[in-house]
Amino acid sequence: MSNGPDGSSAGADHIPVSADDTAREGDGAGLTGRAAPLEVQDLVAGYGGVTALHGVTVTAGAGAITAVLGANGAGKTTLLRAVSGMIKPRRGRVLLDGTDVAGRGPEQIVRAGIAHVPEGHGVIAELTVEENLRIGMMSWPSRLARRRAPESQRADRAAALDEEFARFKPLADRRRKLASTLSGGERQMLVIARALLARPRVLLLDEPSLGLAPRVMAQVMDLVVRLSRERGLTIVLVEQNARSALSIADHGFVLNLGRVVASADAPTLAADVALRHHYLGF
Amino acid sequence: MWTLPRRLGVIIVLAAIVVFLSVKLNAFRDYQIAEIAVYVTAIAGLTVLTGLSGQISLGNGAFMAIGAYTTALLLLHLSWPFYAVLVVAAAITAVSGAVVGIAAARLRGPYLAGATLMLGVALPSIAYAWPGVFGGDQGLNVVFTTPSFLGANFPLTRWQAWVCAAVALVTLLLLGNLGHSRIGRNWRAVRDDDVAAALDGVNVAAARIRAFVVSATSAGLAGALLAILTGLVAPGAYTITLSIALLTGAVIGGLGSLAGALWGSLVIVLVPTYATDVATSHGLSSSVGANIPIVAYGVVLILVMLVFPQGIQGGLRRIMIAFFGPNQKSRTWRTAPANNVTPSADTLLISGDETLSPPEPPDKPTSQHEKEGTS
Amino acid sequence: MAEFLQLTLSGISFGMVYAAIALSLVLIWRGTRVLNYAQGGMAMFTTFIAIEVIYRTHNYWAGFVVALAAGLVLGAICELTVIRPTLSRPPLNAVIVTIGLLILLEGLAGILFGGQFRSFPAAFSITGLKVGGTALGVSRFDVFVVAAVLATTLVLAVVFKYTSAGLRMRATAFNATIAQLSGIRVARVLTVGWALAGLLGALAGVLVSPSTFLYPNSMDIIFVYGFTAAVIGGLDSPAGAVVGGLLLGLALSYVGGYVGGSVGSELTSLVAFGILIAVLMIRPDGLFAGARMRRV
Repeated sequence: MSNGPDGSSAGADHIPVSADDTAREGDGAGLTGRAAPLEVQDLVAGYGGVTALHGVTVTAGAGAITAVLGANGAGKTTLLRAVSGMIKPRRGRVLLDGTDVAGRGPEQIVRAGIAHVPEGHGVIAELTVEENLRIGMMSWPSRLARRRAPESQRADRAAALDEEFARFKPLADRRRKLASTLSGGERQMLVIARALLARPRVLLLDEPSLGLAPRVMAQVMDLVVRLSRERGLTIVLVEQNARSALSIADHGFVLNLGRVVASADAPTLAADVALRHHYLGF
Repeated sequence: MWTLPRRLGVIIVLAAIVVFLSVKLNAFRDYQIAEIAVYVTAIAGLTVLTGLSGQISLGNGAFMAIGAYTTALLLLHLSWPFYAVLVVAAAITAVSGAVVGIAAARLRGPYLAGATLMLGVALPSIAYAWPGVFGGDQGLNVVFTTPSFLGANFPLTRWQAWVCAAVALVTLLLLGNLGHSRIGRNWRAVRDDDVAAALDGVNVAAARIRAFVVSATSAGLAGALLAILTGLVAPGAYTITLSIALLTGAVIGGLGSLAGALWGSLVIVLVPTYATDVATSHGLSSSVGANIPIVAYGVVLILVMLVFPQGIQGGLRRIMIAFFGPNQKSRTWRTAPANNVTPSADTLLISGDETLSPPEPPDKPTSQHEKEGTS
Repeated sequence: MAEFLQLTLSGISFGMVYAAIALSLVLIWRGTRVLNYAQGGMAMFTTFIAIEVIYRTHNYWAGFVVALAAGLVLGAICELTVIRPTLSRPPLNAVIVTIGLLILLEGLAGILFGGQFRSFPAAFSITGLKVGGTALGVSRFDVFVVAAVLATTLVLAVVFKYTSAGLRMRATAFNATIAQLSGIRVARVLTVGWALAGLLGALAGVLVSPSTFLYPNSMDIIFVYGFTAAVIGGLDSPAGAVVGGLLLGLALSYVGGYVGGSVGSELTSLVAFGILIAVLMIRPDGLFAGARMRRV
């Protein structure tokens, strides 16, 4: 796997492959005692007069898939938005590898290492597939900051692009076509590939399966699993479809009306029938 | 809170104030009172159009011109009494408002702005094209005298102030009634979300056209008043500058608010005069002295908008809330769209034309069509 | 026939000026969703700066270059100081702020440069060109006007389509949220957009002022026509701006030329209004409205 833009191999690419290891690292500091990649502490956030999050604490374990579940209006999307900087938290902290990034703008937070794929297929329909992907690399340090020759930067970017195209064949086939011509599943692939190009430490996925046919939904979920297992990416997955989310997640948080009402590893949550009925709809 | 008896009460108090001031102050001030009343009449209609029904108009000066020229022509050729002339002027501008409203019914945002801007520029040029009828550059003279029952010594300016203020206050009352009625509710529904309003059974096009008719009529009345106030109806007074001044007054005062129409009119009439006074009293050279008030006016506009995003009325409301706490039973109509997000506190995004609001549950249609520029 | 040719070429020449203003408005609209009513005022101001430079250096091109540079700077300054706060406020606030800016610039120009009409030199000879013995009805300067605007438009189009900076601007214009989430410094992009718009306005100013004379209000009507051209073309479409400008320039030229006497010249704004309404009746979002997809 290629190195990140700063030449180091820290970050997304090399964590253990065995399912057991990743499961054990699933919730927080775990065995190594290091800070979890993402820790949200007592987050309060909202929109204008409405407070949507009333002090939410969520932890995403390294290399694990952490599901954030709950009914509509529970605050799941708001949580992701507050973490990625789309909205500014009113209180609380967002710790990325121990550093508080709460209150920074989205441009800075993505540079710090949190990539957010918002709900609703955020492709820019008027641009081509390749252009959409190039945008994903806009968070890379600038030419001047890196003091590397433009040639090698261009080569880096081209290599990164090629890598994503190799991973996502349908995108490669359509690289010069407008993103508006992609199907729902392909668009989801595109936005995820774009987010991956930012070389994030943490990936926030908001309802990736929304509006997709069941077969395509399964493919997307497979992709999410592969991202976690093969790349060791720390993933926070917000899903309306709690059943499928729990089937791939390592750990889960259940939100209700802006508060965390449950936090456990995925099998435990899936087994708790009362919880499922009450908050998750199945 | 703003029930009919209360509104009537405020109107009566304002009328008393006008009478008092008009007697106490000199002729120039009477003229200014009349001028303010003219703007209030026009701006009130515009603030209803833009603030309540969500349609921007950069051309209401054209409707004022129609009212003014109608008045001048009727007085010149038919010598009708003024109240009759007022009625006809109102009727004719109402019709023209309907025409414009129908033409503009499908236009939104900047396209509506562009169309009305061009209307405001183009209409006065009709006066130049047919100088025989409209008096061309020189315009038409208007003769207006005090009625005999007031006696020979009653100052004309005071009478003008009374007439203008009376029309303005009646306009405010009527518009207030409209705003609190079902018509007003329909307007706000159309402004906030015309798709939802249509689904609710509101005839969106009719509501929008109605709003144009109302605002045009107000402007027409204002034009008629301006005609008798200045004694002259010439195209130079009804340029695009006037239309822009009307919109400026509406937004500065507080869009959608009738009280805002008053504040806006005060700013438009008094700030330039005040600035000119200051400039001349300092004996500045003519090119500088003439331009200082212009610079000052521009700065005032910018500052008010930056400091009071909801206009003067919005600012006053904030001050009142700070002192007295939120008014739970306030029944002033909503001047802001229902799903308005007051962003800056929460959003760090510069989000183009997407408003960041609490996410909709997936089964409800999320309509993010382009909105008119309203607060 | 000769008259037709002359009117056509003159219409194209003016049309290009309207197109430049229209383009600057489209640029700002796509990037910030603001209609810059001060665009004409900014152009007037930079043209005044140019005339002062030309006056002192006796060098037209020095003034030309300074005007364009001043346009960049003025655009950026306006965005940073006065426009940025309005982006998170109700949209009509930006309208009033730009109107206030316009008034401010006109007053400032009156103070700094005086209110009298000044004549502004043309870049090239304004005498009519001849091919063989026949007068073409167009001058070298007219050709320069068309060429300058076209060249600038092409350069901008290339920058937008093929450079990384251009991609940043397009992404921000189409979806600022996604752009920001991807790390694009949207604030900077907006400033650059306004700077480029300022450049286009400055270009329009120096190109049209030889015909209109230069005084604080000289660009008002040019702005109105430029705005109309942008609306006709569709505010999200740069191609529409150019087409709208040409259409308007030609129409106004023909009306002014063929409908004789004073009625003809008075009717120009009515004709513009007529064209505008005709277009908007058929396509309420402008001729090239399809260029932008509405997200539902």
